[in-house]
Amino acid sequence: MNDVQAMERLGEARGQGLAAIETASSLEELRAAEVAALGRRSPVAEVQRSLGTIDLADRPRIGREVNRVFEDLRAAVAARRVALEAEAEADVALTDRIDVTLPGRRPPPGGLHPLTSTMRAVVDAFISLGYRVSEGPELETEWYNFDALNFPPDHPARLTQDTLYPDVPGDLLLRTHTSPVQIRTMEAQEPPIYVVIPGRCFRRDTPDATHLPVFQQVEILAVDEGLSLADMKGTLEAWARAMFGPDQRVRIYPDYFPFVEPGAGLDVSCFLCGGRGCRVCGNGWIELLGAGMVHPALFENTGIDPERYSGFAAGLGIERVAMLLHGVPDIRMFYEGDVRFLSQLARSA
Amino acid sequence: MRVPLGWLGEFVTVALAPEDLAERMTMHGLPVDRIVRPWEGLSGVVVARVLEVRDHPGADRLCVARVDAGSEEREVVVGVRNMGSGDLVPYAPPGATLPGVDAPLERREIRGVASEGMLCSPKELGISGDHDRILVLEDAADPGSDAAATIGLGEVVLDIEVLANRADLLSILGVAREVAAMTGEDLRLPGISASEAGPAPIGVTVEVADPDRCPRYLATVVRGVTAGSSPLRAQVRLTAAGMRPRWNVVDATNYAMLELGQPLHAFDLDRLAGPGIVVRRASPGERLVTLDDVERRLAEDDLVIADRERAVAVAGVIGGADTEVSEETRDILLEAAVFEPRGVFRTSRRLGLRTEASMRFDRGVDPEAVAEAAARATALLAEWAGGKGAGSVDVGEPPGRRTVAIRPERASALLGVELTASEVREALGRLRIPAREEAGGIVAEIPPYRVDVTREVDLVEEVGRSVGYGLVPSTLPGIRQAGGLSPEQRLRRRLADLLAGAGLWETYSFPFAADEDLPFVPGREPIRMANPISADDAGLQTSLLPGLLRAAQRNVAQRTTSVRLFEIAATFRAGHPDPVEEERVAALLTGPVGQEWPAERREHDVLDATGLVEHVVDGLGAAGMGLGEVPGPPWHPGRSAVVTIAGEPIGEVGELHPRVSRRFDLPGRVAAFELRVGPLVAAAGEAPRYRDISRFPPVHRDVAFVLDASVPAGDVRAALAEAGGDLLDRGVLFDVFEGAPLPQGKRSLAFSLDFRVPDRTLTDPEVEDRVRAIAERLRGEFGAELRAG
Ligand SMILES: [Zn+2]
Repeated sequence: MNDVQAMERLGEARGQGLAAIETASSLEELRAAEVAALGRRSPVAEVQRSLGTIDLADRPRIGREVNRVFEDLRAAVAARRVALEAEAEADVALTDRIDVTLPGRRPPPGGLHPLTSTMRAVVDAFISLGYRVSEGPELETEWYNFDALNFPPDHPARLTQDTLYPDVPGDLLLRTHTSPVQIRTMEAQEPPIYVVIPGRCFRRDTPDATHLPVFQQVEILAVDEGLSLADMKGTLEAWARAMFGPDQRVRIYPDYFPFVEPGAGLDVSCFLCGGRGCRVCGNGWIELLGAGMVHPALFENTGIDPERYSGFAAGLGIERVAMLLHGVPDIRMFYEGDVRFLSQLARSA
Repeated sequence: MRVPLGWLGEFVTVALAPEDLAERMTMHGLPVDRIVRPWEGLSGVVVARVLEVRDHPGADRLCVARVDAGSEEREVVVGVRNMGSGDLVPYAPPGATLPGVDAPLERREIRGVASEGMLCSPKELGISGDHDRILVLEDAADPGSDAAATIGLGEVVLDIEVLANRADLLSILGVAREVAAMTGEDLRLPGISASEAGPAPIGVTVEVADPDRCPRYLATVVRGVTAGSSPLRAQVRLTAAGMRPRWNVVDATNYAMLELGQPLHAFDLDRLAGPGIVVRRASPGERLVTLDDVERRLAEDDLVIADRERAVAVAGVIGGADTEVSEETRDILLEAAVFEPRGVFRTSRRLGLRTEASMRFDRGVDPEAVAEAAARATALLAEWAGGKGAGSVDVGEPPGRRTVAIRPERASALLGVELTASEVREALGRLRIPAREEAGGIVAEIPPYRVDVTREVDLVEEVGRSVGYGLVPSTLPGIRQAGGLSPEQRLRRRLADLLAGAGLWETYSFPFAADEDLPFVPGREPIRMANPISADDAGLQTSLLPGLLRAAQRNVAQRTTSVRLFEIAATFRAGHPDPVEEERVAALLTGPVGQEWPAERREHDVLDATGLVEHVVDGLGAAGMGLGEVPGPPWHPGRSAVVTIAGEPIGEVGELHPRVSRRFDLPGRVAAFELRVGPLVAAAGEAPRYRDISRFPPVHRDVAFVLDASVPAGDVRAALAEAGGDLLDRGVLFDVFEGAPLPQGKRSLAFSLDFRVPDRTLTDPEVEDRVRAIAERLRGEFGAELRAG
């Protein structure tokens, strides 16, 4: 091949190649055109291979022309590819579409019961204050449920408990509160004691909108050197802030439970109206906990020195907290298992 | 305790508005449940002077009264005729509203005479049940003035929830003492004088056979009473305090009781055989018809008041019908006594009878106030019924006053408020608890009505109440431990999270069962209740499944067709010797797997339940789970198994027997499991260890085995995994096939196998060797034929 022929071939190859590339109407056609124009069997490649037969003096010039044609063709392919890809992308919106507002494929819905999540929130707030969790049986003895907690025999307070008794030998009953675990914990452990006690309790109540024979309670017990009513108030204030928000306030007033002395009731500022007063709270305060300093009789019953140690305890009903938090009007709904109710109040805890 | 503020005001000046007073009292340990205005529904009634009463022209039983209503004269038709001209009466003109009448009054014609409103009976004004007469006012008033104000019907009442230990607050005086302590006002004791102890009345004796149960008995004779209405103001107060006014004699004892807290009982002296009083235990089989007309059978533990012949009252609880005062009664024996609280409580509980008297005695009355209360009632009987005190017999004495020591530093430490000795003394002084400083502390002399104060901490609370709990600051104890859950508590939470995360709703149910549900799981012996509330709670559930079934039933009835529920709770069964309380976790799956488009239409079945068990066991990191034999009722005999961990049974999984699903109106298959939480959580693994992950490609083989259809796939999978050893990275059952061309009774199990080791690429011969080993193992153990490679 001489230099003139070579230049002619390169000119043709360039022209044909560019035409094929520019008229390619799909990425497949472009790929075919690319192979034809730039592949090993393309005219340009042929010229490149036969450079050896060309006069030495012409070779650099022809060689440069080969490279130039290659570059032009490659540039043309790249440009055409960009154009074709853009076309294809524009097309996908028409050729591959679905109504994305059709229902998504969710995993089957499920969740924890609102009483479980409320209980966990209460317990976790105390855990974050340094408490551990203590638990005890639901079938309890009279000793743990009443006697050890300073309920005198034949005292009217026992009448108000309305206790359920199983028909078995021995002095068993269904615990009426979680307080027996206070005794069990003090028996099992030396002070300092800081425990939170969650659990199911029973009362001989006929179900109505505000009463159930079964309810969930949580208590705390703290026994250490030098604990005071002020520590109890501060602890419950810290807990209320963790539970209901940083602006919570609490107030205490005298109240009576056989197992605490001094005894106290504790109100938290209404977390629904911010303490301004609303339909639910009335005066800006929500009555939430029974509390007090551990009665020395409990220390005497569990072998803890009441002169060295003092302690406080507090308890509240989980149903009441959940009803307030979620605005549930009827306590029975918690125990009916209606999925429409459960799914409304589901929370990942 | 309902406290009318007007009545309270006789004992202590109250300058606060009712709402403010209620708030202060609540913060002081006298929680006010609500503020009641009993005559809120009364308006527009005025005082009128009767000018003339004449016969109704058209009706014998009616009359027409012309009254001066202040600004004008009006005529009203009246059904009774106890008022005469000159009397002042309450007149309700058209537009007035009355508590005892539904709608506002209107002007109307009665048998041809226009009646402009009405004259009011005590009942229509909500004062008493008396509807037989028009109320004639006792005090002077101007016609046209507001009748409610004149009669005292503006009364505001505080309904106080008296704490169970505070016997002394069941009286106006007791509440007044606290209000005085709270506000610093003086306490007054109007109309209360010491007993006018006259000579013992002739023929009246008192014998106390059981002084432990009756430390004091004071019998006062009042002669010559005449039955009649009590003064209007007293009736209004009794009504406001929640007691129905009856007649003067009964009202006087109730009035004195409400005022001072001492229950009083009036016997008709003429109907007492003797006339002497004997306080003794009931004899076996003794009976008494009490004044509610119920015949009571008494027990030997019951204390009775008797005359010479028979019991005439259950001491401290209720009087007898035979000796009850009536409107014919002339002479009275008035009882003011102290009964031992626990005895009264036992009797009251045994009789199922809680009365105004028993609720005061069973908390403990003031042993020193007996004579004052008797004197007060005697004075009221004189004033209201013309009776005359004729002496008394007093047996027993009040015990000496108790002293209790309190250390100021102890009070400070418990309250978290720094208090000096003199501050402690002053705080107690405000509560009328005298205290003196002695070496080593303060000694307080406890007033006899404070039966609740027996030890130092009780006084600490009194000091706290007196200075105000509001002074207590907020501090935090320095806790020297990290809080948290135990590993076991964390795992129990994870159990619930795994099930909730797998798309099940957690439920809570009552652990009670009706009779017919008790034997739900035949192997578990149920515990019955000794005092069930109703037939629905005859016993305790031995299983969580009935609760889940009932919840499923309710959901299906509400058109929630895809039901996926779980519960974690204690179950109970009889054990020998002790009852057994076991925590269980149970789940129930029924209906389509998904409920909404494009959800799966497939129905839940046993494999969903077994899969869920595997999910939970894996999620807890427990190993060695297996499925054993068929568990028996309530499970489906062909589609259930006992769940084991390391060979130990921990529960059951499968479908429930169709009979059970039918009983709970569940239309399709009901898949479920129930496991004991204890062993499940105990099997949970340690923190998982890392194993090398191969970077080399797996060698893949699909194999199928033909074997008897009765061989459990689980056994085949286990044997295959074992024979595959450490070369087998993954072996998954991907197809089960029965039917032609396979012979009857045979089936094919197809597995997808990936062979791979961490350190190199396996060679074909190595893999072929291992596949052969697997095939030999399955042939040897199950007679399985390798079908295709
Ligand atoms: Zn509010």
